[in-house]
Amino acid sequence: MSDITRPAVYWPNNSKWLQHLLPYVGGFATRLSYAAVGLLLPLALLGLWQFAVTHEWIAIQLLPPPELVWQSLRELWESGDLASNLAISLSRIGWSVLIGSSIGWLLGFWIGLSNTARAYLYPSFEVFSQFPVVGWVPILIIFLGIDEALKIAAISFAVVVPVTVATYKGIVNIPRNLLEVAQVYRFTRIQILLRVVLPAALPSLFSGFRQGIMQAWLALVFVELLASSEGIGYLMVWGRQLMQLDLVFVGVIVIGIVGVSLDLSLRWIESRLQSWRHAAH
Amino acid sequence: MAHAATLEIKGLNKQYQVRGESLSVLEDISLSIKPGEFVSIVGSSGCGKSTLLKLIIGLEDDFQGELLLDGNRIVGTSLERGIVFQEHRLFPWLTVEQNIGIGLLNNTKLSEEEKRKSVQEHIELVGLKDFASAYPYQLSGGMSQRVAIARALVNRPEVLLLDEPFGALDAFTRAYLQQELQRIWEKEGITMILVTHDVEEAVYLGDRVVVMQPRPGRIKRIVDIPLPRERNRSSAEFVALKEEVLREFADTPVTETELVAELVVEEAYPNIHELKAA
Amino acid sequence: MSLIQTIRNRDWRGAALPIGLLAVWYIVTAFEWVNTKLVVPPEKVVQVAYNYVTHASFIGDVIASLTRDLSGFVLGGVAGILLGVALGLSRWFERIVGPSFNTLKQISLFAWLPLISTWLGTGDSAKILFISLSAFYPVALNTFDGVRGISKAQIEVARVYGFTRWQMVTRLILPAASPQILTGLHLGLIYAWVATIGAEFLLIRSGSGLGNTVIQGRDAFNVELIVFGMLVIGFVGAFFNHIASRIEARLLAWRGDQA
Repeated sequence: MSDITRPAVYWPNNSKWLQHLLPYVGGFATRLSYAAVGLLLPLALLGLWQFAVTHEWIAIQLLPPPELVWQSLRELWESGDLASNLAISLSRIGWSVLIGSSIGWLLGFWIGLSNTARAYLYPSFEVFSQFPVVGWVPILIIFLGIDEALKIAAISFAVVVPVTVATYKGIVNIPRNLLEVAQVYRFTRIQILLRVVLPAALPSLFSGFRQGIMQAWLALVFVELLASSEGIGYLMVWGRQLMQLDLVFVGVIVIGIVGVSLDLSLRWIESRLQSWRHAAH
Repeated sequence: MAHAATLEIKGLNKQYQVRGESLSVLEDISLSIKPGEFVSIVGSSGCGKSTLLKLIIGLEDDFQGELLLDGNRIVGTSLERGIVFQEHRLFPWLTVEQNIGIGLLNNTKLSEEEKRKSVQEHIELVGLKDFASAYPYQLSGGMSQRVAIARALVNRPEVLLLDEPFGALDAFTRAYLQQELQRIWEKEGITMILVTHDVEEAVYLGDRVVVMQPRPGRIKRIVDIPLPRERNRSSAEFVALKEEVLREFADTPVTETELVAELVVEEAYPNIHELKAA
Repeated sequence: MSLIQTIRNRDWRGAALPIGLLAVWYIVTAFEWVNTKLVVPPEKVVQVAYNYVTHASFIGDVIASLTRDLSGFVLGGVAGILLGVALGLSRWFERIVGPSFNTLKQISLFAWLPLISTWLGTGDSAKILFISLSAFYPVALNTFDGVRGISKAQIEVARVYGFTRWQMVTRLILPAASPQILTGLHLGLIYAWVATIGAEFLLIRSGSGLGNTVIQGRDAFNVELIVFGMLVIGFVGAFFNHIASRIEARLLAWRGDQA
């Protein structure tokens, strides 16, 4: 190729790179179109909502117009009320998850590793785990009142059960042949714990943690609806009492957003954890 | 005795679209199979022998060329063509009896009573009388494969396709089931096409052995096996024929690319969402 | 095996903890080391239990709660199976409905209660709707997983034997997905019970039910009633769990011991 025919900007006419790129571009476009398709239903529902409001199918007290909900959301956000209530709810979650999962891991490891502990504790735990957390709340109220201690205790209860079960199962289900390998190489107890038990049980440890957080989120809204003077659940109770349904809608939306973000970030961490495991193999 | 069919394969070509590129799996396959004949097809991985069976059974109809059963074009699946897969593919939630009954589910020619009778006969044919109400998890691999054979035969198909049916079994069970299959073939007199990678199995059972070669899949040679049955695997003639077939493989080693190609084809294969097309 | 042997062969160490706790409870209340208004003596709980169990209104409460729970469970379960199958079978349906479903399921269940109670009041229709919603999610999710997981190999078998669409659903999809569907129903049953009690706690103003009674006990500071109510709630939950496991094991016997 001579210099004269070369274009000023290198633009390959045999666009092989484009062919290589095309699947990705195509994949991206397809994914974008799927996302658009996924938005159809919410948009249709939103349209229906607006339509129902404009034509006054339902009283405005029962179904606030979308723009009012949006306006309330913005006002609550700008005044800082939303952020402060959300912060209170999230800190409740944080403390409870910390307390609940610590107890759960300790208990899970203990009954998973020691046959004696399992014989003494597991039957009671099994019965205990089948009592719905919601059922414990009235007795907790008697002992702890309706303040912060109640919320932390109730939400922690909700975390302990899934974390313990997953930890225990993760340890008990470690393949025997892995332990046999450890035995062949005469691992010490600590080595077995650190080099076999912990890595092998890690996925179920994390999955228990994830379930624990989701349970905590469920329990949080319940206790805040039942007895609270602040927090996102309280916001909804308040809105409901004032018959300001836009506040209730705001609550639902915020709870949904937090739920989705929790779920997504936990999944992301889990997939990172897994790819790290695969890479390590 | 069931009616046995003539199968005509004329100029068959088949491609898969893999990541935007066309991959030729079968090229210009022509084969004529007489009624009641037993044809073995051997070939290394990636030679398209399993794809050929998929086309004949009618699980795929995107191909060029002609597939004729008794002069009629093959369109879709039909109860006159039966198949035994490499894995038994029994429904785990059904008993042996019920699994065989699946073969007759859409048979409109038989009354309920006749169906029941036919199922019983076929349970006996494959020697599983004592296991009629067992679930698949209670059966050994060889027993499960016998149930799969009974399920394929219960409709009295005109042609039975066998896709490496004994590939996953241990050597003893395999030899035993080969004998059993021969017995059933002689008793039922139907056309059978066996795809296998086991040359001895192909020679032991086939009237003819079709040797296929990969990339793209095509027929390399057809070897006649004029030995009387029951064949003796250690007789000089048997060993000579086996050697003859094996020689055809000498110049087509299995390379890694071919194995990869086969995996890619597997990936491209239809999934659950194709269900509506069924 | 004789009864004595059965008793001897059982591992009784598991009973040590509950018996120990019960003993501690009895001793601390008997010697009044604690405020017995707060920590009520066990015998008082037994007495309250006897009074209530022999009392027609309590039986009525339990029946009211159970009826609500099971109606909600059946509604939610059926809806969940239908949606799960539809999501699993149709790629387009999954693309259109899937994202909304996945988003909505992240909304903590109880957050729906203020809305539902505004629209439907605090009566049975609101409670049953809420309970069915709680059962709906796990059932739909697990059914979807089960249907999507059906193998290509099994579908090919169905096609070879000329299954009609109806046969595909009744003879392949539902049985093949039944392990996951049953898991979903089991979870749904547990969730429905949590939702029943929760709804009765929160929508106290109307109707009878176990939850209402317990919350009334709290208002009256009737601790023995609360303890008793809690035990009943727990045992009903455990009973449901037990029954569900038994049914699951029975229906999935064809899987052998793999489960």
